[in-house]
Formats: sequence, C-alpha cells, structure tokens
Amino acid sequence: MEIKKIFILENKRWVLGSIFLAIVFLSPIIALFVNFFSSDKNTLIYLLETVLLDYSFNTIYLIFIVSIFSLFLGIIPAWYISNYKFFGRNFFDIALYLPLAIPSYIMGFTYIDILSYTGPIQSFFRSNASFLADYFNNDYLQIEVLGIILGFALYPYLYAASRISFSMIGSNYFNISKNLGLSKLQTFYKVILPLSRPAIFSGLFLVIMEVLNEYGAVKYFGVNTYTTGIFRSWFSLGDVGGAIQLACILLFVVMVLFILEKQSLKKSKFYYGKNVKIQQMISLKTISSAPIILVCSIPFLFGFLIPCVFIVFNVIQTYNEINFHKLFILVNNSVFVSSLSSIIIILIALFFLFVERISKNKINSQISNLISLGYAIPGAVIGLGLIILFSPFSLIGSFFILFFAYIIRFLAVAKSPIKSSLEKHPETFDDTGKNLGLSPLSLLKKIHLPINKFALISAFIVTFIDVMKELPITLILRPFNFDTLATKTYEFAVEEMIPLSSIYSLVIILIGSVMLLFLKKFINKQINVS
Amino acid sequence: MYLEIKNLVKHYDSKFPIIKDLSFKVKKGQLISFLGESGSGKTTFLKCIAGLEKINGGSITLNSKYLNAENVFIKPQERKVGFVFQDYPLFPHLNLEENILFNLEKKYLKKFNYILKLTRLKYLVDRYPHELSGGEQQRACIARALIREPELLLLDEPFSNLDATIKEAMREEIYKIIKETKTTTILVTHDIKDAMNISDKIIIFKAGVLQQYADPVKMYCEPANCYCAEILGDMNKIFHNNETYYIRPEKVKIISKKSKYKVEVHKCFFQGKEYKVKGRMNNEIWHFFSKEYVREKEDVYVDFGKKDLIYFDPVCKNFFK
Repeated sequence: MEIKKIFILENKRWVLGSIFLAIVFLSPIIALFVNFFSSDKNTLIYLLETVLLDYSFNTIYLIFIVSIFSLFLGIIPAWYISNYKFFGRNFFDIALYLPLAIPSYIMGFTYIDILSYTGPIQSFFRSNASFLADYFNNDYLQIEVLGIILGFALYPYLYAASRISFSMIGSNYFNISKNLGLSKLQTFYKVILPLSRPAIFSGLFLVIMEVLNEYGAVKYFGVNTYTTGIFRSWFSLGDVGGAIQLACILLFVVMVLFILEKQSLKKSKFYYGKNVKIQQMISLKTISSAPIILVCSIPFLFGFLIPCVFIVFNVIQTYNEINFHKLFILVNNSVFVSSLSSIIIILIALFFLFVERISKNKINSQISNLISLGYAIPGAVIGLGLIILFSPFSLIGSFFILFFAYIIRFLAVAKSPIKSSLEKHPETFDDTGKNLGLSPLSLLKKIHLPINKFALISAFIVTFIDVMKELPITLILRPFNFDTLATKTYEFAVEEMIPLSSIYSLVIILIGSVMLLFLKKFINKQINVS
Repeated sequence: MYLEIKNLVKHYDSKFPIIKDLSFKVKKGQLISFLGESGSGKTTFLKCIAGLEKINGGSITLNSKYLNAENVFIKPQERKVGFVFQDYPLFPHLNLEENILFNLEKKYLKKFNYILKLTRLKYLVDRYPHELSGGEQQRACIARALIREPELLLLDEPFSNLDATIKEAMREEIYKIIKETKTTTILVTHDIKDAMNISDKIIIFKAGVLQQYADPVKMYCEPANCYCAEILGDMNKIFHNNETYYIRPEKVKIISKKSKYKVEVHKCFFQGKEYKVKGRMNNEIWHFFSKEYVREKEDVYVDFGKKDLIYFDPVCKNFFK
C-alpha cells in the first residue's frame, strides 16, 4: 500500500498570504494607535478643554442634518420608482444616481457661488425685485446649509440601497399586508421599511462615513469637524501629536459605528430568496403622477442639474482662460491614478475574497471584515497613519504611498460587487473544480475570473469614480508637483476662484456621469431590478 | 475489497461528531445507496471520500491505496473519484462540450463521443448550462465525471432536483450508464425508492452510525432495528406472546372469517391497482392493502403468517427518538 505523507494545512500559502497582506494594510492604523498611547497626554487634555467639544458637536450636528435630508431624498423616490409606472420613471431611475458623479466639495463650492452676492440669484433679485433682494443677502456659509448641500450630494447612497431592497421584496408581502387590511401607506412603514432596514442602514452608514471623511466642503464652509481639526492641528499648528489624538478619537467613533452597522445587519438579516415573485408595478395617469414626478425631480434638480448648469455656464464664461494643455495633463493624471489604483485595488479585493471563500475558516472571514474598515476611515486619518509609518523610509510623496492609501480607503468599495457576485455562485463550483483537478490558482483563473468578470468591471467603475473624486488623501500624499482634477478644483476654490475651477469640476462630473450611466445599465441587466 | 471505509470519524466540533464510527466495504462495480435523513452527514461523507473534507479518524482505502488515514491525505485531484453534486454545478461560462472536457487529460479525449452517446447529449454540445433542462444538466455532470474513468463515482442526491415525471426515467438511465461502464458507485439519497430500485446494497445511516448494510431484499425483510424497518416502509405493531412484534402491510391479509385481529377502518385510499387501508387495532395505527374498497368505520378481520413477524428490542423505538 502506498502511503503519502503530505498532510498539510489546506491552502496554507493563500491563508498566510492574506494574513500578511491584512497586517500590511492595517499597519498605518496600528501605527496611529501606538503613537496615541505613547504621545503626550497633556495634548489630549488640552484638546478636551478647548476644541474637542466643538468638533464633536459640529460633527454630530452635521451628520444629523445630512442623514435626515439623505433619508428623505433617497427613500421616497426609491419607493415610487420601485412600485409605480409613471412618465419619466426610467429617466429618473438613472438620473437619481448622477449626483454621485459630483464630488461633495464641488457641490459645496458651486452652491455657495450660486447663492453669493454676485451669484445669479441675488443678481436677479437686485435687478428685478430689489425689495426682495435683502432677504437673499445672507451668510450662507453655515453648517445647516452645508448639511442640506451634502444631503443632496450623498442621498444616492440611500437611494441605491433602498431601490434594490424595495425591488427585491416580492409581492407576497404586499399581498399579505393587503389581506391583513393594511393601506399602502401602512404597508410601507409597517412592512416594507422594517424589511428594508438593513439596506437603509447600510446606505446611511455610507452617508455618515462620507460626512466624517468630508474635508473640502467642510473646510470651505469653515465648519470645524474632526477631519478639519486633524488638518488644522497638523498643518496650521504643526502639532502632529494633537492630529494623531484627534485621528484616534475619530477612528474610535468610526469603529463604534462600524460595529453597530455589522450588528444591525446580523440581527436583521432578511432572506428575500424565498419570496422572489416580483411586485407588479402600478401604472399612473399623467395627472396623478405629477406629485411623484415632483418628488423625484427635486433631488435630481438640486443634486445634479442646477450645479451642472451653473458649472457649464462658468466654463463658457471663462472659456478664454482655460489652459487646455494643463487640463489635458490633469485629466491624464487623474485617469492614470484612478485606473491604475483601481486595478490594483480590485486584484487585492479579489485575492482576499477568494481566500475567504476557499479557506472557509473564521480567521479569513474576520480579516475580510477588518480590512473593510478602511472605507470608514477618513482619508486624513489614513494619510496621517501612513506618514507616521513611512517617514523614516523617505517614501512620503511617492505613488507607492498614494496607492497604498487608496487601497486602504477603497478596498471595501471594490469588494462589495465582487463579494455579491461570488456569493451567487454555489460552493459546489469550487468543489467540482477541485474534483476535476484544479489547484486554487487555476480555480481562480479558469472559473472565478471568467464567471465574475462583470462584477470585476462593476468594481472597477465604482472604485475609479471614488478615487477620481477623492480629495484629502490625494492632497496629503500626492507626489510633489503632481496635481489631479480634484486637487486643482480645490486649490482654485479655496483661492475664491470658483469660475476658473469649473472646467476641472465639469470634467470630473462628465467622466463620473458617463461611467455611472454605464454602470447603472450594467447593474440593472445583472440583477434584473424591475 | 475495492473500497474500504474503516472506523471513519468526522466532526467540525469534537463534541458533536457527524460521523462517529463508520466501517463498510464495497466490491468493484457495485452500486451502493447511502440512505439517511436530511442533515445526517451524507454529503459530508461523500466529501470525505472525494478529499473535499478531511477525516478526523479512521481510514479510506480505494483500490488498495490509502486516500485518507492518519498522516495520509491524497489531494482531491489525485484520487480518481468522480463527484456529481446535488445542484448540477456546470460552469456557466462554458458550453456543454467545454464543461465535459474541462481540465481533461488528453488520454481521455477519445472517449468523448462514446460518453456523449451514452448520456444522449450528442446534439446539445454547443448549448450553455442555462439552455439545458434539469435532466440534461444532470446527464452532463455524469458525463463529465465518467469521461475521466473514475475508480469510484459519487452521486449526491442526483434525483432530488428533478420532477417526479422524469425522475423514474432518469433513475433507470443512470443505472444503465453506471452498469455499462462498470463504475463502482455510491449514491447518496433520502428517497427509499431510489435506493430500493437500483442498488446492489443499501447502507442506512443514522446518528453518525451505520445501522445496517445489506442488499435491498434482506434489508426490507430483515431490518436490523426498528429505524431501518420504518425507513423502508410502513410497519404495523402487534403484541404476540407478550412481546412486541412488527409486520409489513403487504404481509397482512383481510379474511372473511372472524379472527382475533380486528381492525377498525379509518380511511381507504385508492392507489390504482388496489386500496391502502388505514385503521386502528388495539390503539395502534395499522396499514394494509385490499383489492376492494372497505367502508370507513367498519371492522375488518386480518391475519398473517407468524414467520413474517419481526421482533425488535423494546427499547429500540425510544433509542432512535
């Protein structure tokens, strides 16, 4: 009898590789915490006594306003579009995603320009209704205004989450509710909203994370939040210790929110699979659909159309001042960093998810969750962590560090579509592959790469758009003299030269919109959302 | 012996073993049905043989080679074990031909046409999995496994996803294919009919332990315990000579004369060829067959041969509860 002594831990190399990579990607965060405990405690006391309360209040207040607006702007149109047929439904279904193409800082700069003394609104009233002009002559750089603007910029996260959830809740629930005597409104808030809670909570979590990460608009409005505080301590006051302590406090808040989100999903994980009979949509006549059209138009108008029209107007006004050579270089830079980093991020995301799948052990599943935390960590915190970690190696200001930061921040973004695609394929694919003689690498190449190619393309698009819009990381870690469309837009805006920044904003929006439209068509085909 | 499972133990949590101690032997070319309830560890057992799961104790030997034992583990791809999974996992990005030939060694290519003919898939080679019916997908999976000339074929609930109308035809067809290729096969199922109709031998598995391993006739007529008896069909309970005995419904005959076995009829189900009668005798539910309709609430007298009575230890029923 032949006895072969090869009893080795299955897929050992893959598992060890993923643990090693996870440690590498978490090292900046670990470095921050190590510095937090070894830094001067007096700084923390000083922060507590002076700015911390102000930062905390502003951050929470801003999150509150943005959340309320995003919830209304995202959920209500998603409900109508998922359940009613009306004039313009297909248009709105795509158009309501478009604000995602506009970075929130561009939205902030643009609205302040629109509302300013020299902007079109005040100019119009001064010329045509001077008695009303004074009512519009206000200081709009207020936290409440910022909250509303960010609400318009970020509601698509909630729209997307609710839209998919509402579409996947089958007709059985509607029929049972009707049978139990519930009206449409009662069905909505007693059945549909609780069933969609995990999806809505995930969307809201993304909105909150975006608010915590927001730097450009918050700085422009002069609102002191944790993120602006980190920048202020670090760059204006030269107090790296203070910046680290603020970053760690912010990180703690983020971790609490992250755990809450995971817990909420775990507790209320609903399985729609058994109730997949699609709900029939209700056709509405033009007159009765007017209020719905209005409800769907508001987020699109204020979140996309008005800022876009204004930006286009500014571009036309400043056309002669546009340096096309510089613009070309900036587009080139943006596309270069966005596409290269997106490819790297997707490959790493695929690696982690694949190892999680083939190893089937809890460690890999925890690793996968832990590295997803990066999306919840503001860019400024990641930047600070990397600087602490890599300063001794003179690597700051290199593409390596910039991409490193993008990987930490956007790995979760790339993972999401790949993960849902992988989960759709049964484990027996892997077992069959093994049974037919495939090694893990061949399994990845011959089976998972081809059958998940659409998910990989989707992951590329969402990561590309996010990297292109990203501001704090790029501002802190970009190589010397290397500008992108995002950094240039910000530089012009803070110098109060918003019209000149418009061409850069417009290009970001154009590239983002085209990719979003492509992605939306793509997703609808893939998941067959009605 | 061709396949030998010896004292096999498998657990994910040592406190709750899925397979406690399993031993049996299979001769070359035999078709063995592995019968057990859902969730009893049948698929896990097949995965252990295929090398997709590692065992925690005992050994698996195939064709005089250890596949898995203490310090021995042959990789799944080196075992020559074909596995047809329950959900017919054909790769969606490959057509039928590409699926069958997937990762196939060149030496097996010459068998392609033979396998296609055998599985009646010749005219479907260009189709993608979503363009095939359940039965065609199943045959494709079997073709993909058989073309590699496996030393052992494992079928995991191969008929569970098929409509009742085509299930019987598929069962016969697969039996023919397996017997023609003389492939040693283990068929995992929870359906008694599958096991009874096509198996050379049946294994009944419960609570992580093999309950009985015998040919279908012996298993039906001489079940090792009350669990094996009940899993293969109805049993009627009767007190005789101060002991509890059991008897199969088909061994019970309605008689016109009065006897000491009187049954009060509850229901009479028409089953085509005959009626199945459900009734009560001495507070026990009884089933038997009748050529004619028997009216409900009427009393009928039955009798049976004493040699057909089956005896089990009185604790047997409680043990399996």
